[in-house]
Amino acid sequence: MEENRQKDKLVAENVSVFYEKDKKNFLAVDDMSLAIQEGEFVVIVGPSGCGKTTFMNTLAGLVRPAKGKIFMDGEEITGPSAERGVVFQQFALFPWKTVFENIEFGLKYRGTPREQREEIVRKYIQMVKLEGFEKSFPHELSGGMKQRVAIARVYANHPQVLLMDEPFGALDAQTRTIMQEDLTEMFMTEKRTVVFITHSVEEAIYLGDRVVVMTARPGKIKKIIRITAEDLVPDRRQLGYDDVVNLKEFRDLKGEIWGLIKAEILEKHIL
Amino acid sequence: MSRFSENFLNQIYQEKVFLSLSSVLGFLCVWYLVTDLLQLMPPIILPSPEKVFFNIYEKISIPVGEEKLFGHIGVSLVRILVGVGIALSLAIPLGVLMGWYENLDALASPIIELLRPIPPIAWIPLAILWFGIGLGSKVFIITIGVFFPILINTYLGVKFVEPLLIKAAQTLGAKDKNILWEVVVPASVPLIVAGVRIGVGLGMMCLVAAELVAASSGLGYLIMLGGDDLKPELSIMGMILIGVLGLIADRIILGIERRVIYWKKE
Repeated sequence: MEENRQKDKLVAENVSVFYEKDKKNFLAVDDMSLAIQEGEFVVIVGPSGCGKTTFMNTLAGLVRPAKGKIFMDGEEITGPSAERGVVFQQFALFPWKTVFENIEFGLKYRGTPREQREEIVRKYIQMVKLEGFEKSFPHELSGGMKQRVAIARVYANHPQVLLMDEPFGALDAQTRTIMQEDLTEMFMTEKRTVVFITHSVEEAIYLGDRVVVMTARPGKIKKIIRITAEDLVPDRRQLGYDDVVNLKEFRDLKGEIWGLIKAEILEKHIL
Repeated sequence: MSRFSENFLNQIYQEKVFLSLSSVLGFLCVWYLVTDLLQLMPPIILPSPEKVFFNIYEKISIPVGEEKLFGHIGVSLVRILVGVGIALSLAIPLGVLMGWYENLDALASPIIELLRPIPPIAWIPLAILWFGIGLGSKVFIITIGVFFPILINTYLGVKFVEPLLIKAAQTLGAKDKNILWEVVVPASVPLIVAGVRIGVGLGMMCLVAAELVAASSGLGYLIMLGGDDLKPELSIMGMILIGVLGLIADRIILGIERRVIYWKKE
């Protein structure tokens, strides 16, 4: 494990996190260890309330673990940083700022000069297909557009690691499919280290190099499925979402992962 | 929007204006009825509307006490504006800092909680003792009245900023100081403006109260004088003008509100 700290981008070592709700403390994450390599797209799935979000907030540095440590490039994480950008399920855009100003936000604190900021913002507005909406305010945008702004905001800030907490969870099914395809395309053109949380098994298989299946609360790792390394779903990133979900390999894998999650739900009676 | 529905909405609007106008006219009719027409009320108790309006017209050119009508209005306006100005410049910074720094909150809260329930008019004797019967004492009373609603709203606005926005700013690399000015303060603006609106309303009450006691000018003074000299038309004139002033102030703040919270969902 010591050597992992150096070699891997992001390493969680025996992390346990408590979650406070209604003045009571719950053990949300129980002794999780996970090493994420540079340029890897890791998706974490699990039954709702399993501590996925808490775990991701811990990776971001927004929550301190009760036990265990988290390292990035071998250095312990003690707080939030621009090197670990977060896309939240509820978008978290600044409502009084325009699309342009929202995307520009982080760059100002990185000390990027004005002209360069403008260039970067334009590039990512184009990447998330929002040309013409530079001067719009978040309340004028649809849910999918808001999340595009949030993704552009994080991409533009060039974090070493991207943390995405159910980013498409609040979107309708059609928008969601398009966003998944676009995210795959963005990931292929600009390879980043990504940790992606979802409770959609299809989304996990379509997007992830590795899928981490968590148990019900307190969350632990139940199984890790290496999709890219073992080439479980061929040509997944070249095909559109609808074609991929119809592959036999995809359906088999979906069945397997869903079985793992379903067993958790039934076993711990969390329905 | 189609032409048809536009006309339709226009019609509804016109009906509303008509209703509002007729209620004002109805009120004046009843007033006229009980005074001039049926003489149910002697003029010394309730003067007729035309007597009140003639009185207003007359006082534009004939001074009451030290000032003519616009002089009195001007004096009251200066008092309220200075009071509101001082209250704004103290309450907003203090509210922001108290909401953001927990130590300052703990330090200042007990004193503020103790002073806040005291009605501003209870300060009048001390205000006169400290600042005399001139501008100072009135401004002091008004400042106290305006200060607390703005302070409390600013404090709450800062305290209850959506935590997700702060998290987003932190993970984009903003430091605490940047977050305070770039996220927390803008996010609190709607509550701050609401506080200003409540505060200015309270300030108008304080203005009249301060002018009723120990003043020789201002609208409150006219109201008081009407009672002392048995000229109720003078009191009613002062009351109407205070009402109009309050209405204008409220409309101005509403306009500002719409401008600064353009980003809020309708």
